[in-house]
Amino acid sequence: MLNLQAFAIILLTAAVATADDTATLREDPITDGERDHWAFRPLVRPMPPDVGDSAWPRNPIDQFILARLEQEQLAPLPPADRATLLRRVSFDLIGLPPTPEEIAAFVADDSPLAYERLVDRLLASTAYGERWAQHWLDLARFAETDGFEHDKLRPEAWRYRDWVIDALNRDLPLDEFICLQIAGDELRPGDPQAAIATGFLIAGPDMPDLNLQEERRHNVLNAITATVGSVFLGLQIGCAQCHDHKYDPISQADFYRLRAVFETAELFKTRPGARVVQESGVAPVSHLMVRGDFRRPGPVVEAAFPRIANVWGDEVLTPGASQPMSGRRTALARWLTRPDHPLTTRVLMNWFWQQHFGDGLCRTSSDFGVMGDSPSHPKLLDWLATELVAQGWNLKQMHRLLVTSATYRQASRAGSPEWSDEQTREAQSRLERSLAVDPDNRWLARMNRRRLEGEAIRDAMLAAAGRLSESRGGPGVMAPLPPEVQGALLAGHWKTSPNVEEHRRRSVYLFVRRNLRYPLFEAFDRPDTQASCPRRATSTTAPQALVLMNSEFAVAAAQALVDQVLSDVGSDSTARLELIYRRTLSRDPSPSELDAARQFLQTQSAGLDSAVNNQAALVDFCRAMFNLNEFVYVD
Amino acid sequence: MDDVDYNHAERKAILEDGAMSIESATRSRREFLRRGGCGLGAVALAALLGEDDRARAASEQRGTHFAPRARRVIYLFMHGGPSHVDLFDPKPELAKYAGQPLPESYGMVMTRRKVAANPLLAAVWPLRPRGESGLEVSDMLPEVAALADDLCVLRGCHGDSVNHPQSVYQMNTGTVLMGKPSLGSWVSYGLGSENEDMPAFVVMPDPGGGLKGGPPAWGNGFLPATHQGTPLRPGANPILYLRPPPEISGERQRATLDFIQQRNAEHLAARQDDDQLAARIKAYELAFRMQAAAPELVELAHETEETRRLYGIGEKETDEFGTRCLLARRLVERGVRFVQLYAGDTNGWDAHNDVAKNHGQMCRRTDKPIAGLLQDLKRRGLWNDTLVIWGGEFGRMPMSESGTGRDHNPWGYSMWLAGGGVRGGMAYGATDPLGLRAEQNKVHVHDLHATILHLLGLDHTRLTFFHNGRDERLTDVAGRVVTEILA
Repeated sequence: MLNLQAFAIILLTAAVATADDTATLREDPITDGERDHWAFRPLVRPMPPDVGDSAWPRNPIDQFILARLEQEQLAPLPPADRATLLRRVSFDLIGLPPTPEEIAAFVADDSPLAYERLVDRLLASTAYGERWAQHWLDLARFAETDGFEHDKLRPEAWRYRDWVIDALNRDLPLDEFICLQIAGDELRPGDPQAAIATGFLIAGPDMPDLNLQEERRHNVLNAITATVGSVFLGLQIGCAQCHDHKYDPISQADFYRLRAVFETAELFKTRPGARVVQESGVAPVSHLMVRGDFRRPGPVVEAAFPRIANVWGDEVLTPGASQPMSGRRTALARWLTRPDHPLTTRVLMNWFWQQHFGDGLCRTSSDFGVMGDSPSHPKLLDWLATELVAQGWNLKQMHRLLVTSATYRQASRAGSPEWSDEQTREAQSRLERSLAVDPDNRWLARMNRRRLEGEAIRDAMLAAAGRLSESRGGPGVMAPLPPEVQGALLAGHWKTSPNVEEHRRRSVYLFVRRNLRYPLFEAFDRPDTQASCPRRATSTTAPQALVLMNSEFAVAAAQALVDQVLSDVGSDSTARLELIYRRTLSRDPSPSELDAARQFLQTQSAGLDSAVNNQAALVDFCRAMFNLNEFVYVD
Repeated sequence: MDDVDYNHAERKAILEDGAMSIESATRSRREFLRRGGCGLGAVALAALLGEDDRARAASEQRGTHFAPRARRVIYLFMHGGPSHVDLFDPKPELAKYAGQPLPESYGMVMTRRKVAANPLLAAVWPLRPRGESGLEVSDMLPEVAALADDLCVLRGCHGDSVNHPQSVYQMNTGTVLMGKPSLGSWVSYGLGSENEDMPAFVVMPDPGGGLKGGPPAWGNGFLPATHQGTPLRPGANPILYLRPPPEISGERQRATLDFIQQRNAEHLAARQDDDQLAARIKAYELAFRMQAAAPELVELAHETEETRRLYGIGEKETDEFGTRCLLARRLVERGVRFVQLYAGDTNGWDAHNDVAKNHGQMCRRTDKPIAGLLQDLKRRGLWNDTLVIWGGEFGRMPMSESGTGRDHNPWGYSMWLAGGGVRGGMAYGATDPLGLRAEQNKVHVHDLHATILHLLGLDHTRLTFFHNGRDERLTDVAGRVVTEILA
């Protein structure tokens, strides 16, 4: 027990600190110059520009792209051949390779609308939501455990993952998608699905047994505020939790005003079904925290939107005494989804473009501030932002628009079995010029080659082997881990799912432990779920080779592919090789590739006399296919 | 690595691939990298280890800022938090006031388990002056005590959290939050590896597992994945997926790899502008070399019986940690830049109930292996350019817990440095008379990190990585190089 004297000293110290910190809030007004930064200017729908080669554009996107190319004296590459295009758009929209039957059908379909029909079919597939949900879960910091010391299970966290998949598949308009994730509980009281959507806010790490609950709440609120700022506003407002943003017009007070929007909420309310956000009905007094220290409350702040993005002076509602809901988050959700919001639609359409093309029009997709990149095609970005609203925030419509553009359909290299020699020479000269004057491909005179994510690589291996489970939704599955990885975890932290069928489910359904990434995903740059990840890195490392060459999963997938092929085509050795090529690379082998494959099988099985050993050579061949650059990169 | 080595490595790879098309692709990539304006040595390394575009953009960071005093690091992480007052920080006053509560003059103390009002507990073993320097070390560490003249004990260390994972993160990444790049990954990013067959940053976790906070402790955070700590274990499978299943022979594996590389070379020939594809071909060669190099690395058969005895290998209590200490020496000997060993499973040094019992066991496990390592580094000429770091995520309270235990103490504790660039037989800084808080010549975790980087020839204010709108550094906006301890 403290004696009175000591207690008095503490009180005195606290009083001094408070007096010091509550000095009047000093905040620089936002200048006209700051408001004139491209990302903060009002959204105005531009007219698609006129172009010289009016035959090329398929939709307005292409007019913007081509106009710029012509200005730079560049010309686009011809369209990719059908097999390449099919593989590209399949991985892009559903995260899976086309089946041999789909390849045959598409390549043979002479209809001028064959590609459009293919896109519609892909968008209607449930695999679409499974693919695009992972992109969104990267932004949300989604994991099914807390992280930190105990990394405890969040038993119902998968419901939020399933909600995202389902929302995408049923084409929930993007504005509603956003609103429900910020304020589902307020907007649709009593609707359990809307409550689950708020899992977005609290999907990040948390330490429930942190010594001081006040510190815990401070950390979580700051992370929510930073995430909302980064995902929807494209601003690193998290930088302003300790001090005014160094470069952007975001004051520390702006940060804590936005944070105050969430301070009326009871976080982590466990409702039947899931861990959600709920309103407390109590509005605490919000403070700016001096130097971001939870022990140092500074001047009082009122909930408000960041001034730089709030050109209309919209206000956050103050809860009345009788209101069970404060409505603050609803106000935020409505404000973010204003059709004329300068940031939300620009930021999200830029992110969307990045997922389709590899790079955003603004390459710093979560930093639209003054230190961020200037967009390559600002008018195209504005056109897309306004088009999203014009299309009723319909995301599938926007996918359709992007992937059916001539820009998207371009080849990524100057070569194709479908081109004449003359076409190839012309393409080569265009590519050379594009590489010379635009090595980073900002003007898009070619399509970017993309490396698949770890999840897509695993799914493609299972799909190639004909082993991908079609079951959907539900609790995360724990696929087997190597003993040395399992051994590093706390006891009981990885209970391999007893049903082995489950181990073959799509990657998005694998259990996400915050403190341990599934090794194949970790090797291929899966984000760590500590902070919102707007764009994944694509590193190239030796451990990636080890996991694809040597892991039990890779060897088993190669064996399964052999089994599948043997059962499909039997003993015809050429047909086997062709089918393996189609299942792994989505194309037929060339004669020289067939020769090389035969040579390899012969060498590999030399000295081995039984049928079993011949099969082992075929397994090595399939294992090699999974390791090819062509397998993990999409042209 | 210089130009000549690079060309040699490159030619070797080309010869092995049997594919001349790689040469032109490599050349164009090299030109691309050179346009980025960085030195060729760094480029060669980047090419060997594989890089992503962010790393390329920032690869001018590679290389020291000034002459280094140490070239390699062995970091002995005592997981759970060893007690400074029982091991390296003698406190006569603590013996005097044992059994009494902390005097009021010490004010309020934040603790993890509400031990602030508990009676003080005297050191459970005597600490005595050792060697010529007279530096005090506990009787429970007789072997390390005999080398006291080589140690530089920092007695005024302090951090910011009373919790394990936050403190593990802070000690490794500079911040109590999860997911920032670790010290080892910063060093890898800053200096690269000196061994083209192994990653620059290798971690040997405790085989008991259960590190508080888990693998993010050696994570790369926002740095490229190349820089994350690669876990290495003693025994037949030192690196995850290092070898194919046993039924696949070495010849079969090599032939499969050759087939892959031939196909990749053809694929690249039609896409010569693509630097990433060429890098991936290199990564496969590195993987294959690791497959050959790592088993040799962990093979201790060629070490003499005398050497093994030096580390306590073959003795029940010291065999496990001794083996990892010997591996650490083999790693730095082969040019691995940063080796981190964890001593302590999920309980480790976390002596809440009984300091004497818990620390007694941990000391017996680690004392001889650590002393053996220090002696071995010396006699092999590795001492002067290898920095050895010893310490936990925090120390322990002078107050008792459950009678004979101690709670976490981030407010004041000891760590020691030895080897390359630091003065031996020295104590720097001090806690208050009871060992509760750092008081004189304090060394915050940021200062420790700044000092470690300095010893490696890196200026902590200039070792930066642009991320989310900010030039991030290990030391955030703080950090002072403790020049007083430099040799």
